[in-house]
Amino acid sequence: MSIDGNKVLIANRGEIAIRIMEACADLGLPFVALYTKEDAESGHIDAARRLGGDDSLYRIHNYLDAGDILSVADESGATAIHPGYGFFSENYRFARRVTQRDRPMTFIGPSWEVIRDLGDKINTKRLARALDVPTVPGSDRAIYDELEAESIAESLFEFQAKMGINRPVVLVKASAGGGGMGIDEVEDMARFRQTYRRIRNYSLRTFNDEGVLIEQRVFNFNHLEVQIASDRSGINPVHFGTRNCSVQSPGLQKRIEVAPGFRPENLHYGFDAAKLLDDITGYSLSIAREIKYDNVGTWEWIVTPQGDPFLMEVNTRIQVENGVSACIAKVRGDTDVNLVREQIRIGLGEPLGYTQDDVTFDGVSIEYRIIAEDTDNGFTPWVGKIEELGWTGREWLSLHTHVPTDRAYQIPTEYDPNLALAIIWGKDLAEAKARGLDFLNDLKMNGRDSSGASMRSNIPFLVKKTENLLEF
Amino acid sequence: MNIEKKLQELQKRVNYARDILGRETRPELDAFSREIAGFPDRTRDFSEDQAIRAVESLDTRLSAMESAIDAQLTAMDKVRIVRHPQRACLKDILENVYDNYTEIGGQDEHSIDPGMLIARAYITRHRGKKVINQPVMVVGQEKGHGEEFRNGGSIKPWGNSKALKYMKVAAREQIPIHAYVNTPGSYPVEDFPGAAQQIAENIYEMAGLPVPIVAIFSEGGSGGAEAIGMADKRLMLSHGYYSVISPEGAAAIEGHVRGSQRAPAELIEACAVSQRITAQDNLENGYIDAIIQEPPLGVRADHFDFYKRVREQVIRATDEVALGVRGVRLFRALAMRHFKKHEDIIVRWSLNEKARERLVARRFRKYRRMAQSAYQDNRSLLEKLYATSTGIVSNTTGIVLYGLIKPFRQRIERLVEEVTDEVHVITGRVNGFLRKGLKKMGLLQNGDRQKEMELTGLSDPAPVNGGIEADTGYVSPQALEDREVTCPHAAKRGCLDIWARDLFTDFAGVCPHCGYNFPMEYQWYLHNVFDEGSVREFNRDIASGNPTGFPNFDSRIEAAKKKTGLQSSCLTFNATLEGLRVTCATLVANFRGGSVGAAEGEKFIRALELAGAKHQPFLAYIHGTAGIRIQEGVNGLIQMPRVTMAVRRYIEEGGLYIVLYDTNSYAGPVASFLGCSPYQYAVRSSRLGFAGPGVIKETTGMEIPPNYHNSFKALSRGHIQGVWSRTDIRKNLHQAFLTIGGRNLYYR
Repeated sequence: MSIDGNKVLIANRGEIAIRIMEACADLGLPFVALYTKEDAESGHIDAARRLGGDDSLYRIHNYLDAGDILSVADESGATAIHPGYGFFSENYRFARRVTQRDRPMTFIGPSWEVIRDLGDKINTKRLARALDVPTVPGSDRAIYDELEAESIAESLFEFQAKMGINRPVVLVKASAGGGGMGIDEVEDMARFRQTYRRIRNYSLRTFNDEGVLIEQRVFNFNHLEVQIASDRSGINPVHFGTRNCSVQSPGLQKRIEVAPGFRPENLHYGFDAAKLLDDITGYSLSIAREIKYDNVGTWEWIVTPQGDPFLMEVNTRIQVENGVSACIAKVRGDTDVNLVREQIRIGLGEPLGYTQDDVTFDGVSIEYRIIAEDTDNGFTPWVGKIEELGWTGREWLSLHTHVPTDRAYQIPTEYDPNLALAIIWGKDLAEAKARGLDFLNDLKMNGRDSSGASMRSNIPFLVKKTENLLEF
Repeated sequence: MNIEKKLQELQKRVNYARDILGRETRPELDAFSREIAGFPDRTRDFSEDQAIRAVESLDTRLSAMESAIDAQLTAMDKVRIVRHPQRACLKDILENVYDNYTEIGGQDEHSIDPGMLIARAYITRHRGKKVINQPVMVVGQEKGHGEEFRNGGSIKPWGNSKALKYMKVAAREQIPIHAYVNTPGSYPVEDFPGAAQQIAENIYEMAGLPVPIVAIFSEGGSGGAEAIGMADKRLMLSHGYYSVISPEGAAAIEGHVRGSQRAPAELIEACAVSQRITAQDNLENGYIDAIIQEPPLGVRADHFDFYKRVREQVIRATDEVALGVRGVRLFRALAMRHFKKHEDIIVRWSLNEKARERLVARRFRKYRRMAQSAYQDNRSLLEKLYATSTGIVSNTTGIVLYGLIKPFRQRIERLVEEVTDEVHVITGRVNGFLRKGLKKMGLLQNGDRQKEMELTGLSDPAPVNGGIEADTGYVSPQALEDREVTCPHAAKRGCLDIWARDLFTDFAGVCPHCGYNFPMEYQWYLHNVFDEGSVREFNRDIASGNPTGFPNFDSRIEAAKKKTGLQSSCLTFNATLEGLRVTCATLVANFRGGSVGAAEGEKFIRALELAGAKHQPFLAYIHGTAGIRIQEGVNGLIQMPRVTMAVRRYIEEGGLYIVLYDTNSYAGPVASFLGCSPYQYAVRSSRLGFAGPGVIKETTGMEIPPNYHNSFKALSRGHIQGVWSRTDIRKNLHQAFLTIGGRNLYYR
């Protein structure tokens, strides 16, 4: 099936918008880019002009106004919509609307049913358990009954004690909640009822639902991801290896991602790391097959210090850190792997064209997220004007940014604060780390805020964290 | 004789006759008027005797003329008669009909509502030398002779509340009630206790008052009339009218007149005729029991023979009611025969316990039998027979199950509970002792393995995916369009536009941001509130018709049937809700605005009776109602007391009656059989009240705020007991049935 004749509307901004444009240009597809008033200085507009011409740019009011975006799509004659990450990328209603409206288009992402079924954490957990995939111990459905909740919590404490956890903790969270809202932990049964009732009442007030989830609280875990790609047939998913995203800000936002997830060749672990990586990719593929996953997606896992993996959730979208996995992957020996391009290709209906055996991995890749923030001071975002951004080009480095390098750039306060993504490759962990430090020391980034103070960035934090990468 | 005064009087009568004829002019009246004006000139030379004779002949001629006009009065003329300030008012009646009276609860304008007049009055009768004083409670709307403060007999909610209070006093004191209905309609304000709520309460309470009630209708305007007009005997003045809405109001609705415009006079006349509002029409339809004849062109304050007639007929009516329920059946029949033949009989008006019960039961039967010919029963003979036989069967099984077996079972259950409690204590002790011993010996295994499985394995093998969105089997036609819907609160609360397909499927028509409930079709409720596939409709073949022969209405009602696929706006069915069996009646807004006519009332009553026989809780789901169907006239209006009676009967038998309002619910039904429920709930963003903003503006001159009728306002006024979001209806209803219904669910 040919994908020619399609026109892709990019319903996103910043770095991912640029990457989608580049991928479209690679595939020879025309595209339409969007921007808002606040974003008029962003580099993705320059990229759009460069790659698609002035006609490819439309201004809208809000990246979240579905009606506005779809009318632009109609006017420009787009046949597909790429949501990028964030915004509409995991909104199954938007995906459904795109494909079911009177002038249907292709949603470059999984089918809306898949987004819906995997977007629900409880449903994902039940699906995983039905396939004997390990998940965090605890309830797999919303609990409405106080006595039932108590009995589950009680057995959770017993269970953790038996597993040899010396300070067992149980999490109580609102089943309708998310993003850290309506969640609390309990350290002993005596306090359980009180916490349970507080969370239940909070949930009832906020989400109008009394359902509560009870789970084990896992400490000191590593955060791993499995990258999956599968074409519209949904029957032959392929994985692109694992990533380790354990370096995070206190607000649980990722700062450094490394592929592969562990490096038993270079480091020693307290468990069989190679087997663990095989296990979680196998588990992830089994779920993808079961649900007929039909695009790129990420399976998020947590790994306990004892080496037990638990499936957390599935992100049914391309992720920020897709570049690290692509960087170490080869398809039939070809190093030019671009997951965004793959996503568009299979999203538009082209078959994958290769199997798992064709995908091989080589080396270690590190991605740094360069963000203007004060890491000594609670990671508060820094807002101001970037006057200089410069780095030395190297063959082992690729840098994605929407910050224009030819002029000063005011960071908009409306959107996420990512400035640049740097992806570094090395043949082993030591080389990758050395090259990473090399790059960080070389990077020139200066700016001033409205009071004249100089720019703060997270580079010192990244340098410090590079030391112990992948150690557990 | 003072000739000048007499002439003035004659002139006044002529003017009155001209008034009531409205626009129509009569040459003979004009000629007569000129004759009166020229009388002093013509009779200057007459002797006094001659002059008096001439005046008397004028008088006779005018009387003859009045009788002639009277014979040709149209319905609209009667409306004008009733509203004329010279018409005899309640004070006149009190003065002349009763032998002595004390006004209660106010004096002229110093009253909570000067339009509602309450009095304790005496009727004195003589048997030989013996004097019998018979007290009655007189309740009625007082128009006065045009005084402003009487508000034209339009009663405010608190006026109706006062009336109810004294009717209850009468019940306590065991004296009959005489209700004089003379109102153009209730004053449509929602201030506490609320027009609709108070009327509903009045009807509901009057349905069970254990004293004879006699109502005398002069102007019977809609809900205001029903508020005191539910009686054992309904008399009507021959020139009165009794109607669901004033002819002007009907014409405004029929002619789609909006704002300050007036409906054309011809249309008003036509509406007055076709609604069948006169005393003669109502007698024919069986909505009143007798007519009190008025003098030609209607009674005015000085027609003293009229008062005599009123007195006779009112006393006789009260006698008949009291006698009809008294004593042993056989003697009652004999006494009634004697009563019918003789005028001289004097009946005591106080009743004993049994007679009171019979009185209320009789009242129920009286209203139950009304309006039976005003709807179409499209069932075949076989179906009717089948329905009757199943009715008998279910009634009998109901009696056996709930009357005989249930108390017996309850007693046994209680006994078993007590015994098992004691056994538990003993076995518990023994068991605890044994387990302790076994544990010590290490024989007792803990169920650890299974518990672990619960924590790490699938908790139950119920559907894994696809279980998120329940397939409801109904898709709203609004969801088929590819368009964006803007929430009415978008400007205020910043709601984003919603795609129609999302809004009317996943979101159940509720704005996800602010919770505004967009109107949904009634079918949505059938599929989403009740258990899937459990809805079983009954009495589908009772259909709305056109009982008054209202012009052009046959085709319109057929069009409504075709459009909705329903036979009337009322849909009655049995269903289950989380396994709980309920009987439900709905009023569907798409069928002529959800208005209530004879068919709807009949279906409602039958559903209530079925729920009673089957001992099921009853849900009145009001998708929307615009009020009583005006084209059916009194056939529709009479459903207010009729259905309220059935509701009362159902509730008194122990039934649980819950009302749920959606979209817009106004007027008659809300002011009677819906408003009388102690458990009323409304869907958020619905509106409910007595009269719409247009009518309020028209009748009171008040500009009401835009949210005057919304559900939260109704909640704060105490009209309803809760506001529910559509997404919670199922949960909340189930909860309500369980908690309000009590331990044995259906019946308290």
